[in-house]
Order: sequence, then structure tokens, then C-alpha cells
Amino acid sequence: MSRANALRVLLRSGPGFGGVSLLCLLILVALYVLLVFPLDFGESQWSNPVVWVDNPKAVPPAWTNTLRREARPPHRIFEGAEPHTVQMARSGPVHSWRFPLTYASSHPPTFLAVTLADVKYEERPPLVLISLKRPDGKQLRIYRHAVRGPREGESGPFLRYGQTPLRVQLSTDEATVTAVQNFLADEFDLRLDGAQIGGRVDRFLFGVPTGDSEAAFAPLTGDYEIIVQAAMREEGDSVGKIRFVVGGAVFGLMGTDSLGRDLARGLLFGVPVALFIGVIAALLSTAIGTSLGIASGYLGGRADITIQRISDIVANVPVLPLLIFMLFIVGPSLWMIIFILVIFGWPGLTIQIRSMVLHLRTNQLVEAIQSLGASRRRVMFRHILPQITPYVFAQLIFGAPAAILSEAGLSFLGLGDPSIPTWGQILEAGFRTGGIYLGYWWWIVPPGLCIVLTALTFMLLGLGIEPVVNPRLRRSPP
Amino acid sequence: MSLFRPLLVRSLTMVGVFFVVLLMLVLTLGLTGFSDRILAATIGEQLRAERTALAETIRDPDEMEKVLEKRREELEIFYGLRTPWYYRLPRTALRVLTLDLGEARSLRSFDGSNRVFDIVTERVPNSMLLLTTSFVITAIIGVIGGSYLATRQGSWLDRFVSGFAAVSFAIPTWWIGILFILVLSIQLRILPSGGMYSTPPPTEPLPRFFDLVSHALLPVITLVLVSFGPSIYSIRTITLNIAQEDHVKIARAKGLPESRVRLRHILRVAAPPIVTGLMFGLAGSVSGSILVETVFNWQGMGRLYYDALAGTPDENVIVALTFIFTLMYVLIRIVLEVLYVFLDPRVRYTD
Repeated sequence: MSRANALRVLLRSGPGFGGVSLLCLLILVALYVLLVFPLDFGESQWSNPVVWVDNPKAVPPAWTNTLRREARPPHRIFEGAEPHTVQMARSGPVHSWRFPLTYASSHPPTFLAVTLADVKYEERPPLVLISLKRPDGKQLRIYRHAVRGPREGESGPFLRYGQTPLRVQLSTDEATVTAVQNFLADEFDLRLDGAQIGGRVDRFLFGVPTGDSEAAFAPLTGDYEIIVQAAMREEGDSVGKIRFVVGGAVFGLMGTDSLGRDLARGLLFGVPVALFIGVIAALLSTAIGTSLGIASGYLGGRADITIQRISDIVANVPVLPLLIFMLFIVGPSLWMIIFILVIFGWPGLTIQIRSMVLHLRTNQLVEAIQSLGASRRRVMFRHILPQITPYVFAQLIFGAPAAILSEAGLSFLGLGDPSIPTWGQILEAGFRTGGIYLGYWWWIVPPGLCIVLTALTFMLLGLGIEPVVNPRLRRSPP
Repeated sequence: MSLFRPLLVRSLTMVGVFFVVLLMLVLTLGLTGFSDRILAATIGEQLRAERTALAETIRDPDEMEKVLEKRREELEIFYGLRTPWYYRLPRTALRVLTLDLGEARSLRSFDGSNRVFDIVTERVPNSMLLLTTSFVITAIIGVIGGSYLATRQGSWLDRFVSGFAAVSFAIPTWWIGILFILVLSIQLRILPSGGMYSTPPPTEPLPRFFDLVSHALLPVITLVLVSFGPSIYSIRTITLNIAQEDHVKIARAKGLPESRVRLRHILRVAAPPIVTGLMFGLAGSVSGSILVETVFNWQGMGRLYYDALAGTPDENVIVALTFIFTLMYVLIRIVLEVLYVFLDPRVRYTD
């Protein structure tokens, strides 16, 4: 069958078409990830808590709000670099940023956090003030920070928060709690102590008292404004970056895990990793299996017996316990997983290829070429191999899902390569930290679906290719 | 004689498997220096304990150091740390062969023993309970469904089962288990999410039994759901291949009743490969259950593996478990080989 013809047969079968289109999709996603993500994504981002600190922890995807009767608050991040306005005051220029926030949710934000970075000043440190303006016209200052002054022996210009930005969790900040306490006393005549407010600042800031009990607050929806002011002392002083986070209870396309990691990014990164594991492991074990099978079948004699005995033994080794054992001893590494999958993955193919070669070596083509004086290697690789190539190709495809599932299982047992996030590892984290018992389905279902989808892609591809490879299966649909 | 030779070859292969695994364990433990590290840690622990005991009687710190140094030497000789691993480990392997499995560092059996043997013997029945139950159910569904489908080749049901079997190969069993927990235990609260008994466990035998059943239901359903598709499919294919052979046509041509043809001429011939397939499934599920038991917190061998790996790893238990998994696998396979030789008379002549 010609190559074009084979492709047509493949695409015309249902599984074949499905497999090919899914594979194309996966390859496109993998290419996108390779272009956009850093190669050391696992170490530099995924396992680096600093990257995820401003994300809400263990919240469902944003689109779940469309399915909910009461929408959860979305996650809002406001960032400013250049000030929105600069006013001259007596003490010096005042840089200010105004972030409008339309709040429509019936739940308060989950947290409030502010981050300052790259503050530069010539002589005297600037003062940073943050106020919240509410829809009911009330306004209160929720944060006040005097940037640290010059140390002894230090000379200007001074740079603060360059290496490590200053991050303050306002929900638990003592000064903020006091500010809220005063605000409640002044505006609503409510006298609450710090313990009643601490950690629940958001509820009071974004709510009005219901009157039911002292601390009962109903969310206040409407247009808020977050006003950040930095009072500078000199012309050239500046705040390089300001970031204000209004913590939501939903996040992104896929939600977050209990460390606030964006699951969509982890899942995306898993695509090229899974394809890589599947393809490399299948490729190597097929290569070994095929060459040993050909050698065993064609050479015969002592080589045949040796190869057959070895493959009998290796084929019967229970792989999973050994994999667990070796990874545990040697330390988890993706290469180790692939290596073990390969050295235990070849014997089945060797046994099958051998029986095919035993049959082929007696056919007239091979006999004719032998009588022409072709070397054994030439006969094996130029004349026998091409005849079994289609079959080998099908086995190659069926080998990929097995490798992907094995890696996922090992990762789930906590033996995954910590520097390379995979779907199995995401599932493991969800399981180990009890995410499944808390019903965090967005943490559990998508990675599993990804594994199934990728494995299924190769299964479908294999099923679609079988009729091409094995003409006896090619029959008109009943 | 004809019966003996194939049996011998097959058993020898399985013994070979066993020794290859043992060799790999020894090499991995030795070459990575892992075994030395464990021993050194054990000796260190013992010395620390003895130091506190000795502190009661010996006041002089110099003399204390001297005594301890001497004691360290004794211990190193006793534990064999002074002999290189390639002498020591084979001996350990032989010791393990007699099921002397050593002691666990942190894991304990339910009644508090730290002997690995005690811990394991407690767990094996639990694993078997789960595995055997789901295996029997899968086998029954497979044989009935497979032989039925073989008569309905090409029907929509046949095509559906083929597709379902293919999909089953692409689904991690343990993930299905997690989904069941998520939906049936957490959301709907129908079945318990894990463990073998409620806390506190019922004391009356009958409620206790039903409690166990309700806990076993989810893992068993999980195991059966993922394996019954491939089981039906493979039995259908085997049966179908035999049904197309000439001797079946002759039997039909002779006018034998269809039920007799199916039972005597198809199923009898198909029995050996079917039994092999099923037993392979059983042997395979020995290790497959590691993940399912982990998910359902089923106190079997698999969960033991997970417990030994998680937190502070318990090396002795991991070594012992790898050994026992291999041993169980090999034993099942040897039984299978023997059974096969008896079931299929043809083997006696062709091997």
C-alpha cells in the first residue's frame, strides 16, 4: 500500500481520524508550551512559592461562576508602575494611583495584599498611603508605610525593596485591623475588638452591618476605588512598582491548588512532558525489541536461544514493584523512569518479531538475496526489517500510552521527578494534601482527563493503523 | 516425560525471573551505597542509645569515647559493615529467602510488632480479599460476555465492547478510584471513602461483615470496571478465532447440536488460553493493586508500600515488599504454568 493510500485508510476509520486530530492538537499545545514556557519551568516557577503568593489558594476555575447561583468574587490584580497623577504638595511631589474596582459579588474578597517594589529616593524616605473609597461614599485609610530610611554609613540615592519586594497581607496586618476598628466605631458606631476583626478585614471593608448581630456584615456591592499615594520628598524619587491584590474565590481557567499554583499552567506544561515520555520510552523499547527479535529469528542457533531465554525472564518480571524500588533507591528522575520502562518494555515485541522473522526468512525474496551473497546484516536490516516495519510501527504507537500511564502511577506514589511537573504529580499533590476529601474536583479531574486523553490519542491511533498494517483486518464495515 | 519437560522449562524460567529480580535488588542496594548508609544509620542509633545508658556508670568523657569506639567496631563487625556489600548482601538475600524479613524502622503491625514478617502477613489477606473478589467477578463477566459476543460478531454491542476495551487500556485505574471517591463518597455520601472498617469498627460479626463489604464496594467496582472490558474482549477474540477453525465447521457439518459444538468444540479448545489470560490478569493485579489500595486506604500490601515510601521512608519494608511482590507473582505464574500443561494436552508434544 502506498503511503498516501495508507494515510487515507487511516483517516477514513473513526478511531484513526480521532487519533490523528487529537495528536495534532496535543502537538500544537506542546509546541506552544515549548515556545512560551521556560524550560526550567518546574524549578523556577512551579515549585517556587514566591511566584504564586498573590494567588488565592485552592479555588475553582473562574468559569464555574456561570454555573453558580451566587457568583464568587473574581480574583483582581491591580498593578501600577508610572503614577497616574503627580501633584505638588508642600512636602514634595505626591504620586498617586487610582484603581477603580466594581464589586458585584455577594461574598467578600478572600484576602487583600499589597506589594511594593523598587522604591528609590535621594535623601528622605517616601511615605506610602493606601485608602479605600466605598460605594457609600465612605473612605478610609487601610495602609500606611514609611519606607525605611538611610542606614548608618549608607549614602544616597537609596534603593529599597529591589531584590525582595515588600509584600503585606492586609487581612492580618495589625495597623490595618486598627484602622478598620476605628472606621467601624466612627461610621457605624460598632465597637469590636481586634480578635473579631483580625483575618476578616475584607468582610468589614467590603460590607455594611446587617444589624442582626454585632459582627454580621452583608457585602456592599458597587463601585469602589483603591487610592494609592506615595508622598515623595524630592523630584527624582519614585516607586517602581505597586501591586494591589483583591483576592477572589475563583481563579483562571483551571483554578488553583492549595499553594495557589495556577493549575492551567501546570496542566499545559504536562503536555510536552507526557508526549516526550510516551514517545521516547516507546521508541527505545521498540528499537531494542525489534532488533533483538530480528537477530533472534534470523540468526538462530545459540543467539536465538540466549535472546529467547532472556526475554522470557525479563517479560515476566513484575515491573511496578521494581520501578518503585529502583526509583526509591536511586532518587526520582524522569530519565530513570524512562530507562526502567525501556529495559523492561522490549521482550514482548522481541518474541512476536522473532516468530514473524522465522516465517519471513524462508520466503523466496530473502533466499534469493542470500544467494546473491548479501551480508547477514544487510539481509536483516534492508530486506527483513522493511517487511515488518508496519507491524513495528503499530506496536510503537501502542507502547506510548503504557509509558505515560506508568509515569503517572509512579508520580502518584510520590516518585515523580520533582524538577519536572507532570499530571501524575499534580494528582499526587491533590491526593496527599487531602484535596479529594475536600471536594477540590478541579484539582483532581483535569489532570486525570489529560492523562486519559493523551493515552487515548495513541490508542485510537493504534486502532486506526491496525487495518492499514494488517490487511486481514481490513474489511468493509458490516 | 512429555509432561515433565515443559513443566521444568517453565518453572526454571520463573525461578530465573526470581533470581534476576533478587540480583537487581542486591546490585541496586550495593552499588548505590544505599545498604551501607542504612547500616551506618542503624549502628549510629544503637550507639546513641548505649551512650545514654553508659552515662550512668562512666563519668570520664575520654573513657566513654574509648568504650563507644570499641563498641562501634563490634557493631560494625556484627552488622557486617566491615565486609564489602558483595559479600554481605547475597547473604542477606539468602536470609530473606527464608522469609526472615528483618525489622521495620517506623511501621508497626496492628498489634504493635515491628517485624516486617508480622506486618506483611497481616496485610496479605487484606490484599487478597480485594484482588480475588474483583478477579472472580471480572473473570465471570469476561467468560460469559466473551463467549456471548463471539456469537454476535460485528453487532453494535460487539463494536461497543471493543471500543470500551480500548478506552479501558487508556484509563489509569487509580484515577477512576479517585473519581468514585469524589462523586460517591464526598459529593453524594453514599459509600465510605476509604479504609476497611468504620471507626469505631462494629464488634458483632454480622454488622462487621457488612461494614467491610460497604468499604470494599468502591475499590472492587473500580478494579472490575477497568478490567472487565479487556477481559470480555480478549475472551471473545480467542473464542472467535477457534470458532473459525476447520474442526468446528466439521462438527457443525456432522449436525451436532449448536450447544454441544460450543461447549465441546469451541470452549474446550479455548479454555487453556483463556485460563492463561485470566491468570496473567491475576498475577498482574498483584502489583496493580498498589495504586488502588493507596487511593482507598485499604490496609493491604499496596498501601503498605505507599506508607513505607511516604514521609520518612522505611527501607527494610520497601526491600521486603519488593521481594514479596516478586515472590507472589512468581508463585502465581508457576501455578499457572502447571495448570496450563494439564489443561492443554498439545503443550506436552510441541514444547
